Amino acid sequence: MSWRDFKRKVQRQFSEYLEIPGDVMLDLPKIILVGNIQLFIENHRGIIEYTPEGVRVSVGEGEVAVTGQDLMLRNILPDELCVEGKIRSLSFL
Amino acid sequence: MFRFKLVSYLLGYVVILVTGEAPEKFVNMAAGRGIFLWDIFKTGDGAITMKVRLSAVRPLRHIARRTRCRFSIRRRRGVPFYTAWLRRRKALALGAVFFLAALYLFSSFIWFIEVRGNEQLSAAEVLEAAEEAGLHRGVPKWNIEAGRLEAKIQEALPLVSWTGVYIKGTRVIIEVAERTVPGEEDRRPLHIVAAKEGLVKEVLVLDGYPLVKEGDTIEQGQVLISGEIPPPAEEPSPSGGEKQPGDVSEVDRQPRYVHAKGIVRARVWYDGYGEAGTVETGRRPTGRSATCVSMKFEGKEIILSGSPDIPFENYKIETFVKKIPDWRNLSMPVEVITIKYIEMDDYRLERSREDAIKLAGERARKAAARLLPENAEVQEQWLEEVPSESAGAPIRVKAVIETTEDIGREKIFNP
Repeated sequence: MSWRDFKRKVQRQFSEYLEIPGDVMLDLPKIILVGNIQLFIENHRGIIEYTPEGVRVSVGEGEVAVTGQDLMLRNILPDELCVEGKIRSLSFL
Repeated sequence: MFRFKLVSYLLGYVVILVTGEAPEKFVNMAAGRGIFLWDIFKTGDGAITMKVRLSAVRPLRHIARRTRCRFSIRRRRGVPFYTAWLRRRKALALGAVFFLAALYLFSSFIWFIEVRGNEQLSAAEVLEAAEEAGLHRGVPKWNIEAGRLEAKIQEALPLVSWTGVYIKGTRVIIEVAERTVPGEEDRRPLHIVAAKEGLVKEVLVLDGYPLVKEGDTIEQGQVLISGEIPPPAEEPSPSGGEKQPGDVSEVDRQPRYVHAKGIVRARVWYDGYGEAGTVETGRRPTGRSATCVSMKFEGKEIILSGSPDIPFENYKIETFVKKIPDWRNLSMPVEVITIKYIEMDDYRLERSREDAIKLAGERARKAAARLLPENAEVQEQWLEEVPSESAGAPIRVKAVIETTEDIGREKIFNP
């Protein structure tokens, strides 16, 4: 167990103990999916790839990939992002 | 979101097209530096269009250089561009301002004056009084005081007991309430004559000389209360009838003419006859009907609904033709014809004598009731069977309605 994994474990246990939401404590993305038409990602780290068929967004660790049709970035702020269109799948890479 | 868009519109925004190897980098860097981007959309050939506020265009240049992208402005939207466009078209802006100014200016004058509630007075008289009080067409609204106008108009017109002046936009409504002044009394001499024949029941004379009394039978047109009052009957004077010259009563020898007034109520009879046969035949609608709608256009007939075949053996036809009304010398050659076939049926009814008498009586009563004037008071009514000559003839019944009514009618005469 590396030092980094140990730190994460302690942080998780700490946040569970104090009931602090993970997105605040652990720097995790908060993803809100509205039906299959809208997707909000809070706490992102920028866009990796964007095409009308798929969007890859960098989050704290790894990426979130959205596939669909006619996707569009409705708005983009330093830590918030909204994707609109016909969403087919959402996966963590 | 709406507030964000509104602010963007007020501050101005542009639609830019970003081309380059990695437009995503451009987006990331812009977002990382706190530049709002929205409606990011990939067009076919690897380029991205997005919307960005006008104030952020300058920093974007720097980002474009860093990410090796190029961007070009495609569309300019929002208030700053709109005002710039207006600045180039000064006449248009001036015209708009002029229009608003004119609208405001012209709406601050009185253009219409309406008079309400006047019956004896003419509208022109009221308007004249208003004119004198300072209210006329074209007067500025700020010069009008409703309360002062009301008082002045009321002062100028003695016939008016109350005035109301209301200002509604460019319209002034003058509402007046008139005093009821007792009208001139009709002094023309006239008789009260009978409007119809009857039997006098009561006589009430207010003015005039009664010629009939209770129990008299009167004919139509007969004078009931005369407007001519004969001189009083000469009393046999105790001194033996000698006349003295210059007697005052000499003047009274002439009859006096008055406007006769009074009520004469009489009993009036109204007759009505009704017939009913013991056997009745005829045709009547069965209640079933068929409709055929067709359109006629230049002699050709096109059936829109229904069938042209008549489904009944005995029927009656009702035809309605609808046509667009002629205008000037243009007439439409189209008309819609609705034909309604109403099925008819022969019927034969047999009824007993009692039923026939009852029906005839009902019909007779209705016929008599139709003759009654509105203010008549029905006193009595009865039915009489009229004997028929032959056995097969329908039964005839007479209905009599007795009423009491005012039968007086005014008739002017020349003395």
